[in-house]
Amino acid sequence: MPASSAPRTLADQLRSWPDDRLAALLEARPDLAVPAPTDSAQLASRAVVRVSVARALDLLDRLESETLLAVVQTGPASTEDLEQVLFADPGAVTAALDRLYGLALVWGTTDAWRATTITADLVGIPAGPSRAETERALARIDERARTILDHLDETDAAGTVTQARRPIRIADATTPTEQLLAHRLLEPTDDRHVVVPWSVRLHLRGGRSTREAIDDVPALADSARETTLVDRAAAGAAYEFTRRTEMVLEAWSTRPPAGLRTGGLGVRELRAVAELVHADPAIAALLVETAAAANLLAVGMNDDLDAAWLPTDAYDTWASSSPAERWTVLAKAWLDNPRLVSAVGGRDGDRPINALSPGLERSWLPGDRRTTLSTLLTLEPGRVLAAGTGLGSLARRLRWQHPRRPEARLSLVPGTVDEAAAIGLLGLGGVSSFGRALLLHEDPIPVLTALLPTPVDHVLIQADLTAVAPGPLEQDFARQLSLLADVESRGGATTYRFSVGSVRRAFDSGWSTDEVKAFLAASSRTPVPQALDYLVDDVARRFGTLRLGSAESFLRSDDETALTELMHHAAAANLRLRRIAPTVIVSDVPLQVLLPRLRELGAAPVVEAADGTVRVARPEEHRSRTPRAAPPSGLTDARRAARTTAVISAIRAGDRAAAQRPARAPAKTPADVMSALREAAEARTEVWIGYLDNHGTSVERVVRPLEVGGGQLSAYDERNEEVRSFAIHRISEVRRPKA
Amino acid sequence: MNDGPLIVQSDKTVLLEVDHEQAAEARRAIAPFAELERSPEHIHTYRLTPLGLWNARAAGHDAEQVIDALLAYSRYAVPHSLLVDIAETMDRYGRLRLEKHPVHGLVLASTDRAVFTEVIRSKKVAGMLGEPIEDMPDAEGAIAVHPSQRGNLKQALLKLGWPAEDFAGYVDGEAHAIELTEDGWELRDYQKQAAESFWHGGSGVVVLPCGAGKTIVGAAAMAHAKATTLILVTNTVSARQWKAELLKRTSLTEDEIGEYSGARKEIRPVTIATYQVLTLRRKGVYPHLELLDARDWGLVVYDEVHLLPAPIFRMTADLQARRRIGLTATLIREDGREGDVFSLIGPKRFDAPWKDIEAQGWIAPADCVEVRVTLPEGERLAYATAEPEERYRLASCTFSKTKVAEQLVALHAGEQTLVIGQYLDQLDELGEHLGAPVIKGETSVKEREELFAAFRTGEINLLVVSKVANFSVDLPEAAVAIQVSGSFGSRQEEAQRLGRLLRPKADGKTARFYTIVVRDTVDADFAQNRQRFLAEQGYAYRIMDADDISTETL
Repeated sequence: MPASSAPRTLADQLRSWPDDRLAALLEARPDLAVPAPTDSAQLASRAVVRVSVARALDLLDRLESETLLAVVQTGPASTEDLEQVLFADPGAVTAALDRLYGLALVWGTTDAWRATTITADLVGIPAGPSRAETERALARIDERARTILDHLDETDAAGTVTQARRPIRIADATTPTEQLLAHRLLEPTDDRHVVVPWSVRLHLRGGRSTREAIDDVPALADSARETTLVDRAAAGAAYEFTRRTEMVLEAWSTRPPAGLRTGGLGVRELRAVAELVHADPAIAALLVETAAAANLLAVGMNDDLDAAWLPTDAYDTWASSSPAERWTVLAKAWLDNPRLVSAVGGRDGDRPINALSPGLERSWLPGDRRTTLSTLLTLEPGRVLAAGTGLGSLARRLRWQHPRRPEARLSLVPGTVDEAAAIGLLGLGGVSSFGRALLLHEDPIPVLTALLPTPVDHVLIQADLTAVAPGPLEQDFARQLSLLADVESRGGATTYRFSVGSVRRAFDSGWSTDEVKAFLAASSRTPVPQALDYLVDDVARRFGTLRLGSAESFLRSDDETALTELMHHAAAANLRLRRIAPTVIVSDVPLQVLLPRLRELGAAPVVEAADGTVRVARPEEHRSRTPRAAPPSGLTDARRAARTTAVISAIRAGDRAAAQRPARAPAKTPADVMSALREAAEARTEVWIGYLDNHGTSVERVVRPLEVGGGQLSAYDERNEEVRSFAIHRISEVRRPKA
Repeated sequence: MNDGPLIVQSDKTVLLEVDHEQAAEARRAIAPFAELERSPEHIHTYRLTPLGLWNARAAGHDAEQVIDALLAYSRYAVPHSLLVDIAETMDRYGRLRLEKHPVHGLVLASTDRAVFTEVIRSKKVAGMLGEPIEDMPDAEGAIAVHPSQRGNLKQALLKLGWPAEDFAGYVDGEAHAIELTEDGWELRDYQKQAAESFWHGGSGVVVLPCGAGKTIVGAAAMAHAKATTLILVTNTVSARQWKAELLKRTSLTEDEIGEYSGARKEIRPVTIATYQVLTLRRKGVYPHLELLDARDWGLVVYDEVHLLPAPIFRMTADLQARRRIGLTATLIREDGREGDVFSLIGPKRFDAPWKDIEAQGWIAPADCVEVRVTLPEGERLAYATAEPEERYRLASCTFSKTKVAEQLVALHAGEQTLVIGQYLDQLDELGEHLGAPVIKGETSVKEREELFAAFRTGEINLLVVSKVANFSVDLPEAAVAIQVSGSFGSRQEEAQRLGRLLRPKADGKTARFYTIVVRDTVDADFAQNRQRFLAEQGYAYRIMDADDISTETL
């Protein structure tokens, strides 16, 4: 509570505060602390900056807002005065005042509370006529006017009228709105809006500022649900979400989807994700957006050097951590993700909004999300949001907590709850135990690990050549198994199918028959079916019966002895001959080289064409291609001329800029700049200007000013040969041309 | 973590761990709505399909029960989206009803205005609907339906995803006394259940494995209906067997049962007709179609529903006012027209998993063995250079197979053995080598019946048969089957052929089902489908080399 001796200013007050109060203020309004203020005076002046105050106002609940309004309207006012006006418990008013005081939105003493001027400016409404005037006016207006007044009063809304500020005499008032304005029962806040002023409001509401109690926190509609059930449902969702993320990223490792030119992911690609994970597109969007927010996914390049969405190197680390750790990364990323994922799939004008596309960032979103979830955290353990009415009550509670928050933001609450349920922070409408840990900045991993299915290290292999893993598999094991068999169905369990192709894949990557069999025997809880053993043997039997290699040329002859002789010829050593069959030799020396060398060795080879026919080895005659006719000279000349002119004019402009630079003393102050420009415009002379362009880089131009006014310079630019306008505040200096 | 036997996957499959202590309970809980897709030894796979869920709805289960069953037995959390999807799908059944209105006749009604409007505006139902009806009680919308479009409309609505529930009822048909004569035998429990489920449901399909006595279920249904009955079967032999069975099991006499086939055209109170004769087409018309209107049938029995040819579907669409029972071993159709079976014949009314019935001792367990032979060098070359369409025949008809068949027959000397093949030349060659009679398409019905009878009595114990024996041939004592070639490993054919062997054996011995396959050819590729199918059905499956036959023990 404030000190007894009345402070003169807010700075005075702040100076008298103990450290912990100051710390609390800086914590609640962190923008005051950056950069560190030099003294209390500076802190006080910063505390009344419009933006900062507006942000602080967002923190207030209904009780505090109404209390602040009462201070603004009646201040300086004592606590007792305020208790008279406010429809709330005295204790609640005191607490609200303390909070406002702590936020440096009001200052003074319990006998005289004051609001800062800027606060009054932001939240205040007109004071309105005196009590007697109000009563008289109310008696004089007609029924239609009264209806409008009552409506505005009940909804607490601002009315919209045209020319709200025009003065109206009572005698001239014809329409109901004009009557109300003339009697000052409505007063304008700006040109278009009118409100019920403070005094009228109090009068209509029986001396209080609101009709209903403002310290009445709307209750959440809840129902009983066992904590274990909530946790089970949430853990199921958490596991599913993690698994699906891994599935998508794993699939994209090998077949990355193209990145759109506008950024983002194509609609078709998103649908493919939905199909892959057996979910609707909204969940698919949440998956990829969350993965991107967790830095597991980013734009890279595919094999064709086109932009594509690829798992990042962080993905490898992530994928090798435990399921609970993986989930924690995703859940944190979701909590702090400023992107409005629920907008994906909608349209922005006539343009569809793609997943991962730029422009979805909303800086307030993480804060709102936390508020929603923190509100759910206030539910007792064993209680969850009621199925039908829960969401409505949550919205009412949030509206009470943040009365200044726009309705559009509150309308996102159901979406946030759905997303939190999909991720597993919520289950059956209640906060899961590991979600609670995460929200309270504790470690959710041990809690979640206990809830997730324990990884299994075995499968059940069956005679229909499938293997079923009755739970999540250990990672290494899963990787090995997926080499040997194809995944057929996923979920809590995984079904693998062995086929000729899948077993051969294992052989291709270097497994031997014995290794395959040993692996199967070790991993199966049940005896390996005979049919699978047979399949492995069958694949092994055929594996490698075809040999493939590359060679530049081949030699074949029915005369095996001739070939043997050639192979053993001393001079043939560097021809890299290799005999692959009794009648066939291959070499990786090209034909053109091999042919003369073989002739040198005394052999008499003929060359075979691709179809096996003998080609006569006559030297080939070479021809070059007739050059294409040159384009008509006129066109080339015209192009060259045009290019030259452009270059020259640019050079000339540059020259002039250089030549004119050290003219008379340059105009640098704003006044000088203006006068120099005006002078040049009058005289129709060229000037050199230094100008900061849109990117903040300094450029120099030689221009012929035409007109100066409205903060703009309109001038003829030599460089572009066109009339351009320059913002005068961006012009750093002006030099007049040399005499 | 709940330690249940089920794992529900997000792709709508449900895995059931067979060895789990709650497995039997869980299986019973999910059987009404989940279709068993694979049942190998350790983990069975069920699938949730819209048709399965609607079948469950038709049987009186609601989404709540389905979801409860999944949650109660699931080991891990059930994907939330799946639960939502189940509720939504099940909710679609019965939003639309076909009803009988005293004034307007057949009426399509709905309590859901939005759905009703969506449906009647659809192009797919254009022309089937008449005037809207305003004064329908308990309905948000109603529209008259032309009676002839009852079947077509149901088909169209199923395609739109809003299957209609048919409350329009049935005509009684011409009454005819039919009783079961349970002298010396009695209806098995599941047969009784099947017939009753059908009767209460009005019309629908009963799924029972081969050898589980579908004919008797048909007879029991007739005893319920007590009306003139039209029985549609696949072929003449099957028709004769139906007749013999009905004479044996019911009060019907020779004079009351007619056969309507290529050979005979009798129309009696109970008429057995073949698909073939009904779908016979001359000059663009089906001359035998009037059979369907020849009498005021009270019941239509469809044998082997999964083989129902397309023209019969079209005819069935016009028979919606009569009670219909479909009998089959499997709802799976190679042509994927399961939806038509659902909408035209009716939802599944009874289903018993093969393995369960086997466990009850009604059908024999089978041991499937694939014998791999190698093509001799010369044939291999011929195979390698053959046209793709010739390859299967080349591989199938290799003489090596005949030799292996001979060895196998010798191994099982004295047991009732069938050799089954596709190609006539090969069958003749086999018959000659094995010294056994050959039954093929051109064999007269009389001769066929004689041979079968002889086989039944054990007079002969080796028969070589072509695919004519695939369907509805009753060979009670076949203990060994040797398959040398087939029609490209179709699942249906495998099921049928295996069915030949699955009748209970007097000595309780395990049946053997050999398939001779040429390795490294398309034959082996088809064998893979077969292996997968049989293993998925839960049969023991082994692969052996032809050289190892001599060491094979029985």
